[in-house]
This record gives sequence, C-alpha cells and structure tokens, in this order.
Amino acid sequence: MDFTIDSEQRALRDAAADLAERHAPDYGSGDVTVGPAEHDAGLWAALAGLGGLGLPFPEAAGGFGASPVEVSLVAGELGRAGIRSAYGEALVAASLLVDADQTDLVGAVADGAALVIPALAEPGRAWSLAASTVAAEGSGTGPDAWTLTGIKEPVQFAAAASHIVVPAQAPDGLAVLLVSGPKVTANGRVELAGAAATLLIGPDTAASALARAVNLGIVALAGEAVGAMDTAMTMTVDYLKTRKQFGVPLMTFQTLTQRAADMYVSLELARSSAQFAAMAITDDPDDSASISRAKVVIGQSGRHIGQEAIQLHGGIGMTAEYAVGHLMTRLTAIEHTFGDTRQHLAALAAHVGDHESVDVLA
Amino acid sequence: MHRTLSEEDAAFQQRMRDFFTTEVPQDIRDRWRAGGEVEAQDVRVTQRILNAAGLAVPSWPREFGGQDWTNLQLHIYLQEMQSASVPPPLAFNVNMVGPVIAAFASRELKERFLSPTANLDIWWAQGFSEPEAGSDLASLRTSAVLEGDEWVVNGQKTWTTLGQHADWIFALVRTDPDAPKKQMGISFLLIDMATPGVTVRPIQLIDRGHEVNEIFFDNVRVPVDQLVGEVNKGWDYAKFLLGNERVSVAPVGSIKRKLADAKGFARSVATDDGTLLDDVHIATRFAELEAQVMALELTALRVAAGSKDGKPDPASSILKLRGSQLQQDVLELVVDLAGPSGLLWDAGDTRDGTDGSGREAWTGKAAPTYLNFRKASIYGGSNEVQRQIISSGILGLRG
Repeated sequence: MDFTIDSEQRALRDAAADLAERHAPDYGSGDVTVGPAEHDAGLWAALAGLGGLGLPFPEAAGGFGASPVEVSLVAGELGRAGIRSAYGEALVAASLLVDADQTDLVGAVADGAALVIPALAEPGRAWSLAASTVAAEGSGTGPDAWTLTGIKEPVQFAAAASHIVVPAQAPDGLAVLLVSGPKVTANGRVELAGAAATLLIGPDTAASALARAVNLGIVALAGEAVGAMDTAMTMTVDYLKTRKQFGVPLMTFQTLTQRAADMYVSLELARSSAQFAAMAITDDPDDSASISRAKVVIGQSGRHIGQEAIQLHGGIGMTAEYAVGHLMTRLTAIEHTFGDTRQHLAALAAHVGDHESVDVLA
Repeated sequence: MHRTLSEEDAAFQQRMRDFFTTEVPQDIRDRWRAGGEVEAQDVRVTQRILNAAGLAVPSWPREFGGQDWTNLQLHIYLQEMQSASVPPPLAFNVNMVGPVIAAFASRELKERFLSPTANLDIWWAQGFSEPEAGSDLASLRTSAVLEGDEWVVNGQKTWTTLGQHADWIFALVRTDPDAPKKQMGISFLLIDMATPGVTVRPIQLIDRGHEVNEIFFDNVRVPVDQLVGEVNKGWDYAKFLLGNERVSVAPVGSIKRKLADAKGFARSVATDDGTLLDDVHIATRFAELEAQVMALELTALRVAAGSKDGKPDPASSILKLRGSQLQQDVLELVVDLAGPSGLLWDAGDTRDGTDGSGREAWTGKAAPTYLNFRKASIYGGSNEVQRQIISSGILGLRG
C-alpha cells in the first residue's frame, strides 16, 4: 500500500493542471453555463493532446498503457478548476470498446476524433446497469446487422457524440451495442426506433464488462469530485478569513470554524477513498465492492462539503457569478452519475453477510 | 500509488497474525473481545508476552526496545493486534509516559523507568485533568513547591483512567505560579502512588463500571530527581505526549473487529421473517459503516505515511475525531441490534440447554458499552478541541 506518486505521474498531473487552468470556466464573469455541463470541443482537443482520453488502456488496444491512477490524477485537476466535462462518460464508453476489440475506434477516441458516450439511463427508472426497456434484435447476418428499439434518457453529452454505446436486452440477455450518429432530441433524449447498431459485447460478458467500465468511470468522477471539493474548501476558508461582519472576520466565530473543520475531515476521507478506488481497480478491474464503498464516501462528502460551502459563504454562494455554487451543482451531478449513494449502498448491503470485514490491505 | 503489500510487508503481516493468535492465550482474548471492565491481570500478562517478543513498545527509540518499523508496518501491527482481540499494551506506559521519558528525561530516569514501563512492572496513571482544568488543561492548579531536595505536591487530579491499578502516576504540576503565561509554569513529575498523602477515590460512571478515579495529593513529598527534563517545561512535554495520544486513538482494528462481531450478533436475533442481518435497514447500516471505516483506515495509512521526524501530521486530529465517531456509531448499531434484549444489563448467557432459548451474553453488555464509549469523543482532547486544532492549525482560521 503506497499513496505516493512517481515523477512521471507528477509530470502528468502538472500538465493536467496547466491544461485545466487554461480551460477553466471564468465563473466570476457570470458568463458561464448555469446547470448541467455542456461539451467544450476546445477542452476536449486539449485533453486528447495530453493523452488523457486513452490513458488507462493498453497500447495494443489503442490506448496509452497507463492506469486508472493516472486517470484519477487528471480528473482531479479538472475538478479543481471547476471544469465539467464528459471525461468519466468517455472512459466508460472506451472501456467497453476496448473489451469489444474496437481498436480503430478506441484510437479515434484517444485522439479526440470520435466522442463516444454511454447511453445508460432510461426514463423514469432508478439507476441500473441492466437495461430493461431498450431491446436489441439481430438479423442473424453478423455483428453489424442489429437494430435497437426504445428510449435512453437522459444521456448527458449525447448531442455532441459521434457514437453512443447502449446496453440493451437482446434475445439471450443483456448486451452492449454501438450506434453511430445517434438521434438525440432536446434535453438528452435518445430515441432508438429501429436504429442500426453493432453488437459489441454479448450476454456472456456484457454485465461484467459494463461493471468494469463503470468502475473506471467512477474512478474518474471520484478524482474530479475531490478536486472540486478541494476548491470549494479553499474558497470557503479564504472567505472566512477575509469577509467581515460585525467589524470582524467571519473566522472569529467558532460556530463557523468548527463546521469548516468538519468539511476538512470529509475532504480528507474522500481524498483517501478516491485514491484507493484508483489503486483498487488498477489491481483488480472487477473490484466493484471497493468502488461502491468509495462512491458512497464521495457522495456523502460531496454533499456535505457542497452544502456547507454555500452555507458558510452565505448569499454569495448562491449566485451564478461565483464558483462555489457551480461546484455544488457538479458534485450533486456526480453523486447521481454511475449509481447514486442509495444504489451503491443497496449493492453493498446485499452482500454484507458474505465477508467478516473489509480488508484494504491486499 | 499501489494497493498491494510488498512481499516483505505481507510476510510481516503474517508474522504478526501468527503471533497474536497463537502466543496470547485464547481466554484473555475472549474476555477482551467481549468487552466490559478491564481485567488488570490480563493486560499485565499480555504486555509481558509482547515485551518478551519485542512487540510491546515498537515506537520507542531502538535502544529502549523499539523497532525500526515503517509506519505501514506499525499500522499492520496494531491492526492485527486489534483484529485478534489482544489487549493492547497499556497506553499510559507505551504511548504516553514512555516516549516522554525517552525523549526528555535524564539518563538516570531512563535507566530506572523505561524497562519496567515496557514490561508493565510499573502500571502508570495519567495525572493531567483537574476539576477546573479539562479542555483548558493549562489552567491546572495542583502545585509542587520545592523544599530541600523534595517537591511537595498538593491538589487534585480527576478522570484518572484505571488509576485503581496504578503503581505510579505522571502528573502535570504547577511549579511557578507567577509565570507570565499559565503554560510556562508547569512541570512533569513522576510520583509513586504509595507515597503518603496520595488518595484514590473511585468515580462510578453511567455504565455502572469503575474505570476512572479522583486522585488527591496532600503534602505528597516527591524526590527532586523525579522531575522529567527541565523545571517549568512540562507543557512542552505534555503537548508532545498528546500528539502521540491522538495518533493512537484511531482504533481502526478494534472498530473493524466490533463491526465484524456485530454481524454475528445481527444473525443471532430473529425477526418475523428472518434475522436482523436480513433486514434492509440494518444491512444498509453495516454497508455504510464499512465504507466509512474503510475511508478512515485509508486516511490513517495515508496520514501515517505523511508524518515527518516522528512528529504527528496535524491531520492526525482527523483520526481522533472520525475514529471516535465511528467507534460510537458501531456501538450504537450494537445496542440497536440488542433492542429489548439489552434492557437488562450483564445477565450473561441465559440460554438453557434444552431449546437454546435465551439471551446471548453480548446483549447484556450492549447498552453499558454504548454508554461507556460516549467517553471517546471527550477524552484525549474532545472532538471540539480537535476541530479547533484543525481549523486553526491546518486551515489557518484564527479568531
């Protein structure tokens, strides 16, 4: 067990920090999209240039042969700068493409030529990796001769996507398919009315491939969330030092500083969990239990820090011209992406009797 | 950054596991695992077994019996010890007074005290808190006045944990009442409990147990050479000691042991349609606690790796704060699992031989243990003090 990073990883993190600083939204200008993130092509090209998009995948599969640890480092810098992007989603999709030996498309994803997004959510349904209302049918003439019918909604970033990967119910069970040039209506609704699709992964391995892919996506989101929490924490501490009321700085009031201390505790627990999540799936990509535990900690910490950052700022924290509120928006979105706290706790609770205790040392 | 243990550390882990599960008698470990009032003899026997194997005082300097372990190995040692329900070496000896003597005392005091302290031939008590000096420790008033070659001590200490077993007490005493700052007139004195004028009075707590005491000093004469380090420097030594105490009070292994035992407890309680472990609400509490304890353990590992020059990382306050909260959360879960079976205390195992019906022993310990451990967020610097340390020391928020 070792939490330190080597010189190559430090160089990557520093390069990601530079990139993030260049592409960071200027929240103070008030000229930043309020609400859910939108795709930024300039940022995306820069991320591709950094090598960020193919980082954890083997070179033979079209990637750059690093690991989820490097993903976590890059995502952390994006989060710290308040950048909201499709990084986690793109990695989920790419992981599935790698499992399906789509080497050319993985290469295109890695160099930014293609944006492939996973279409996971179904309207009106709680989070699940098992598609239930979208059906896949093959004509029997090969992997390219499939069609998909149903709705995936909402699919963030789908409007900008060149392709989507879609979990669907095939006649023999859950499968993962690829759709080129998806039809996306307003607000991320993907309508699949007999859309032509390529079978990527069949029922034998679709569930495990999806779980592995989402594990990687969660590592990216967890890294990003810790970066965002770090910035929310720093901004809050600075504000308590400089903002004066009743003629004194806010940090004079212990009711505020005690709460800031609790935020710091949440932040450090989240940081440990995010780093461990990256190490855990570098070691074993199928370690979904470790990922679920980390996602729970990240979800709870993000909620705590987001809420308190706004409360300790007061009204300014609510405005669109100040970063803290945007950070909380993003932390809330992260909590509800790739399984929320409830779903991950339910998954863990179902197996709580299977082990005596949790060993982090392996 | 990687998860796996090196071959060397994995072998170390196995060596610790083998030692703790085979060398420390099962009956001692069973009693410790069940909890309740500490059996002094179990602590003595265990510490002597550990000490004979060089495992009682690993954090001490090597020349006094310490080990050149990495922080990770120290974590593994504690984890395996707690996992095996081995009574830990007495904290007052190995985490508190021992390191202070080793770091600050004269050669004579080191030679006189360190070996019997490591072997628990001397049972130490901590004489810090007073009725008017709790979180505001530097306000302490117990006085020591030099008369010839003796300090004459008068005053009162309180909350003295396990003081009823103590042979000696290390006490903070005021040696200069006129010092410009109250922190500057304090010294660190070693006092034999058998000295005339020392009186111990038990304090009964809400768990019905006798764990803490009041200690009264009435013209207690202490040889001048039993003052540690320099006169009026006691506050520095106390801060050094409290830093060590904070690191040692994140009992991750004990929390995990209790949480694992609690699963067995949950399985033993029948509900209308299964056992409490099948109950979604209970299973979710287990899942949530396991995730939170994991985060604490990882943070302990990360912070330990970040400590420099033997000084605790200021982030160790996180461990005290969160460790005590999770310890309390787990015991809260256990008392909830006991439910109505926990209403009467310490009934023992009431199951009869014919149909096995009755209450298991843990149910009678659940409520008193839950109540007892409300102490965890108060001792060793209350959690409010820990937040103060974090906000001023780490975040730079100074009112």
